[in-house]
This record gives sequence, structure tokens and C-alpha cells, in this order.
Amino acid sequence: MQLRRFATLIGLAALGLAFAQQQTLTIYSGRGQSLVEPLVKQFQTETGIRVQVRYGTDAQILAALQEEGSRSPADVFWANTAGALGQAASKGLLRPLGDTLLRQPLAFVPASKAWVPVTLRLRVLAYNPQKLKPEELPASILDLPRFAQEKGLVGRVGWTPTYSSFQDMVAGMIALYGEGRTREWLSAMKALNPKGYASNPAMLDAIRAGEIDLGSTNHYYVVRFRRAGYNLGLHYFKDGDPGNLALVTGAGILKTSKNLVAANRFLTYLLSPKGQQYFAGTVGEYPLVKGVVADAHLLPLEEALAKSPQLDFEKLPLDQALRLLRELGIL
Amino acid sequence: MTSARRLHQLPGLLPFLVPALLTGGGVALPLLYLALRALEADPETLRDILLRPKNLELVKNTLSLLFGVLLFTTLIALPLAFLTTRTDLKGKRLFSILLTLPLAIPGYVGAYVILSATGPGGILPLPRLEGYWGALLVLSLITYPYLFLGLRAAFLGLDPSLEEAARTLGVGPLRTFFQVVFPQLLPALLSGYLVVGLHVLGDFGTVSLLRYETFSYAIYLQYSTAFDRVYAAWLALFLLLFTGGLLLLEGTFLRRLSLARTGKGSGKKARSVRLGRFTPWAYLLLLLPILLALVLPLYALFHLASRFPREHLTGLWEALSHSAMAAIPASLLAVGMAMPIAYLAVRYPSPASRFLERLGYLGYTVPPLAFALAWIFFSLKGLPFLYGTLPLLILVLAFHFLAEGLGPVRGALYQVPRRLEEAARTLGDTPARAFFRVTFPLLWRGAVAGGALAFIGAVKELPITLLLAPMGYSTLSTRVFGYTQEAMFAEAAPFALAIALLSAAFVGVLLWSERRF
Repeated sequence: MQLRRFATLIGLAALGLAFAQQQTLTIYSGRGQSLVEPLVKQFQTETGIRVQVRYGTDAQILAALQEEGSRSPADVFWANTAGALGQAASKGLLRPLGDTLLRQPLAFVPASKAWVPVTLRLRVLAYNPQKLKPEELPASILDLPRFAQEKGLVGRVGWTPTYSSFQDMVAGMIALYGEGRTREWLSAMKALNPKGYASNPAMLDAIRAGEIDLGSTNHYYVVRFRRAGYNLGLHYFKDGDPGNLALVTGAGILKTSKNLVAANRFLTYLLSPKGQQYFAGTVGEYPLVKGVVADAHLLPLEEALAKSPQLDFEKLPLDQALRLLRELGIL
Repeated sequence: MTSARRLHQLPGLLPFLVPALLTGGGVALPLLYLALRALEADPETLRDILLRPKNLELVKNTLSLLFGVLLFTTLIALPLAFLTTRTDLKGKRLFSILLTLPLAIPGYVGAYVILSATGPGGILPLPRLEGYWGALLVLSLITYPYLFLGLRAAFLGLDPSLEEAARTLGVGPLRTFFQVVFPQLLPALLSGYLVVGLHVLGDFGTVSLLRYETFSYAIYLQYSTAFDRVYAAWLALFLLLFTGGLLLLEGTFLRRLSLARTGKGSGKKARSVRLGRFTPWAYLLLLLPILLALVLPLYALFHLASRFPREHLTGLWEALSHSAMAAIPASLLAVGMAMPIAYLAVRYPSPASRFLERLGYLGYTVPPLAFALAWIFFSLKGLPFLYGTLPLLILVLAFHFLAEGLGPVRGALYQVPRRLEEAARTLGDTPARAFFRVTFPLLWRGAVAGGALAFIGAVKELPITLLLAPMGYSTLSTRVFGYTQEAMFAEAAPFALAIALLSAAFVGVLLWSERRF
């Protein structure tokens, strides 16, 4: 008797859950909760669409999506990296997007049309302004090893070989200059006896602490350290240099989605002036549509777009880069 | 014992066997999952994976860190446990509490604090610690309480009549310690080593921050950078070989031991040792770990939190209650699961019962991310209605943190004389009834200690919580992760502090459970 009541209850709860899932938009986000949650809430109040978000890293989310398979409750995959989105697309997890949406961003729309770019981040060089002057820094990241040798910075250079953006940069270098030159560059970097860090904040903190003097990182980390009151230098290489490689964040709609209309509205909202302004202001990233007021720490959008080499970011030779890094004993 | 007699016992043991087997199954599922994923590798990739020169370096690093931490924690915990139980020092209770509190500091917080507090511009005038020595120091400082607690409980539970007998026979104090006392501490030492060892093998937060490459760090990287589930599964299986070795070693040692009080169920108190002129040194020894492992991280966290914009505090209460709602039931469940397994292993030792117990520990070093992915996979196949619900999160956390409960429960069981149960059995009780009437009342101390440890583990756990919590269910640890991921350390600090304070409350529960009434 009691058992039956219990079973009925469970059945009702399951029904309720199923019903609720029809009504709410489910987002799997590799983007950090602390950064994007206010925007999600804003979307919810403005559209009246109920949203639920699962946060994690790109890799965790991607692995979870694959384990869930066709039973996934997710509607939208919102990621930090073009690499993760490219993987999701090539594994057939994403559904092609409409042209209205894909026409919005100024650049970086992937050929697969499986996801839409939302914001832009740039690789930069972070340095200790008390030790190094901006005008003496090299114009290309390829010259970084020679520069460091000349300035006697052996053992005082940091890098993050395990971090996805660093690996993207190496892949970009291979795409631009081929594996041979990239291998030379990596070997020259290794000869500097660089200190490896697991994360960019850890590396920037090491610059702050005087343990090292410079390191290649992503621009917004420097912006955040500066906003927190730490004095760190930020250097861009010359236009088109792989040391300024563009890192694109984006979002796609999953094939398992049962809420196509709401999912489309969400992606449209991310690219709306309001959504883009949020990223340019609070988050410190570059918007990808016109007419957004940039943060004081950022370059004007046209300048920023010109900084990076133009590549197919979904098809960066990441496997080749990883193989090379492992071959050289860096990974 | 003949097999016929064993068979005869079976019906009476069912109340233990059924839950124990179910639990074993729950812990074994992720292993099955890893095997499934590992077998997806094509031979070419497999050769590359197995023959990478980097593997050797990882083995060397992992082992040297493991043995370094075991040695270091012993050097810290053994004298501290002795000083706080068997001497005439004042404030032993307070010191015990303070010395256990570092348990409440999550490893990644400890590591970050050590890093940000040292070096030029840091709040401490110390050189920056990193690499092997940094990892050794931080891991030792955050894991020694496991050993300390076990040893303390063992000192308190020691039957002083054995020592007294030795002394009456004219054996000197040092020899008495090594010949009579030390062997009785062995179970506590071994199960402490096991938990500390499992922590070291499974840790990636600390070693990645301090730049020291071990196996679990490599696994973490593989999942997070190359999106490669197959290679990561192989690395995880390698890691499980280490754990398996550790478990085998501990099990072999432990099997030779039989320890219980000589007489009645409740023992009498041992006499205190007078320290005399060594007293100031003893206090210094007690203060050092407290300063390094507790005061420094807390100071740094408060320092960071003081720069924190207040309007963000609104989510704190929600995250706190979410953490408690997941971790408290999970820790209760973990102890509930640990009891039948420990009971069977201690009272009915056989290869099968030992295997079940070792399995419980093994589950703990399956990388939590793999644990979570396995449960996504299997729950959607078998129990789809549970997926994305709080009960599933609780269940999986309990499976993963079962090992934290096993040690204390097992240790307590060893000290309950078997004769009491046997007496109850002669009076016609079934094994289950005898257990609840006689053993359980003497066991609750171990059970509460195990539950508190499981709670502390579960409340700071990350990957399982991220992937298996209901949608939008953010806990203290997911908030800390969310902020540190974006380098917003000041914002993360109040949540990290809340983890530390909540865990501290459970350290209080743990110590309270040790009190004798």
C-alpha cells in the first residue's frame, strides 16, 4: 500500500520534471558562473523564459554531453573556446544555425555554421613594468626567445603549456609558419628554462611576486589583475602576429534540444547590443558587433580585430600542436 | 572455519551482506566505466600511451610525493597525538581541536594561500614555495589531521592494563612504548596512511597550483585540455594500480593484528606522563602546525575577503544550504554503507569480505570526474528518472566518500571485543541483532568520526557536484570554482571561508564524538 503510494509519487515527480523540462531552456555553460550569471538572469526577466544552467569547464561539459548522448536535457552549449565547439560540431552534437543569426558577428563565423561566435579575447604578453620597458619588448612572439636571452631573462619567463589558449596559439603558429618553425620556437623557449604554470592567474601572480618577469597570456586576465589594483604591463605584438591570436567564445544549439525557439532567442540575445555591452563592460572581452562602448583597458574594436592573424579557428591544427608539445617533452 | 559452517551462517549475515554487496556494486561501476572507455583505444594509440617516456617521470614524482607525505605526516601527527592524550599539558582539549581544524581547509585553498602570501609583494616575508617541497609541505599540513585523529583515538582507546602489565614486569618506558603501545597504534596508523595516501594520489588541485606533475595531475590535464576520454581512462587505470598496491600492502599488514581490551567493554583511563622541563618545547611543537596550517590560511582568506564587494554576498546563504543539503545526507549514507562492509571484513575475514572492503577504498581514487561521468552514463541507462536530481548526487557522493567512513568504523570495530557479540549470540541473538544491541553502542564514536570526515570531503568536492547536481544548484565549492576560474579571488574568499567554517563545525562534531561519558 505504502509502496504503491510511493511509486505514484515518484511517477508524478517524474512527470512534473518532464513537463518542467519542456518549459525551461537548459544551458550547459563552459563559461564561468561568476561572469555570465547576471546576463542569464537579465535574459530571463526580459523574455520571461525560464532558464536553468549547468556550469563546468568546456571539457567537463563536452564529456558530459557525450556520456548523455541522445538523452541529454541540454538545449544550448555555451563555450569558452572555439576548440570545444569545433569538437562538439565534429562529433555531430550541434545543429546548423540560421543565417539571420550567423550574419550578426563581424568576424569568425565558422564554416560548419554549427555555432556562432559571441566574444573575442586576444593573446597578449604580460610583463613586470618595473623590470621591462614597453618600447623594448619584441614586435613578434617569434622573437621572444632571442629577446629574453639578450636581456638575461633565462629562468624568468613563464608559460602555461597545459592551458588550452596556449595550445591554440601553438596551433595558430603551425597554421601560419608550419611545424618546422614552430618546433624551433618551442625549442628556443625551452632553452630559456621557462617556469610552467597550471593557470594564467597563477602565472600573473608569479609576475606580481617577482618570481618571473613576463609570460604570454590572455588579455582579460591582465585586465582583471589591473582592476584588482596590481600593476602589470600588457603588450601587443605587431598586427597579424600569432602572439596576438584571437580566441573566440561562442555558443551552439544541441541536436537534442526540444526548445528551439527559446534557444534561438538566447543566442540572438547574446549578440544583441545589450548582451554585447555586458561582455565589453563587466567581463572585459571584445564584443563582435558594432556600436558597443569599450572598456578603458581595451583597444578600439577595429584595432583589436586587426591584431590577430586571420585563420579558420574551428580548424586550428590542435592535434598536431599537442603531438609536437608531447614530442618535445613539454606536455 | 569450514565452508559448511560458513554456509550455515549465511542467512543470519544477510542483513550485512545485501547492503555491503550493493555498495560494492555502486563503487565498482565507475571502474567498469573506465575499462569500457579504455578499451575504445585503437592499438596504435595504446602503444603511444603506454610507452610515453613521460609516464616514468610521473611514476617517480607520484611515488616520491606519496612517501614524503607519509613520512612527514607521521613526524607531525605521532608526537602531537601523544602530547594531547597522554601528558600533563594544560589545554589538551583546545589544542586537539585546533590541531584538527586544518582538515577544514580545502587543499586548493591552502596551496593558493601559500603561493599568494609568499614572495615579494605577498603578506608573508617568506620565499615562494613551489614544486616538490611546496607540494610536500601543503599536502602534509592539510592531511596530517587524518593521522592525528586516528592516533589520538587509538591512544584514548588503548587498554592501559597492557602497559601496566609490561611496566610491572620491569620493562622500561621506551621499550614498553615500542613493544606494547606501538603495535596497538598500528591499525590507526595504517588506516590513517591509507586515507593520507589516497588523498595524495588523488589530489590535483594542490599539485597543479604548486607546479608538481603527478599522475592525477596528468589525468586532470588530459580531461581538461585534449578532450581525450580514452587516454584519461588509461591514466586513471594506472593510478588505480598504485592505489591497489597501497591497499594490498595495508591489508597484508593489518591481517596479522588482533587487538581488543583485555577486560570489560569500557576501559579505564591511562596515567598522564609528566613533561617537566620539556613543557615549553611541547607547546611550541603544538603551535607550529596550527600557525602554518590554520592561522595563515584563515588570515589570508579574511584578508582577501575584506576587499570583497558586499552586494555579491546574497548567494552565500543559498550556496551554504545547498552544500549542507547534499553533504549531510551523503555523509550519513556513507557511514551507513561503511558499517556492514567493515563489520563483515573485521568479524568474518575472508578473501571475499576483504575484497569488498578494499573496493570501498579503491573507489575513492577513481578520479572524481571519471566517477561523475560513469554515473551520468549508467544512471541514464538504468535509472533515467534519477538523473539530475539531488538524490543521485547524494548517492554518488556517498559512494565516493565511503572510504572516509570506512577507516574510523573499522578502527572502532577492532577495539570492540568480539566476546561481547558472541555472548549475545549464545543468548540466541542473530548476528544483526547482536550487532545492534551490543556492538553498535560501542561503535557510534567511530561512526560519527567517519561521518564527519565524509562530510568534510563531500562539502569541498567539485567535479561530481558540478556534473550531477540538479540544474542551477550551486554549492559553496561550485561558487569557489566559478570565481577562481576567472581569477576573482576576493569574490571566492567568502565562499572558501564558509567551506572552512562549515567543515570546522564538523571537526567539532568529530572531536565531541571522542569524548567519553
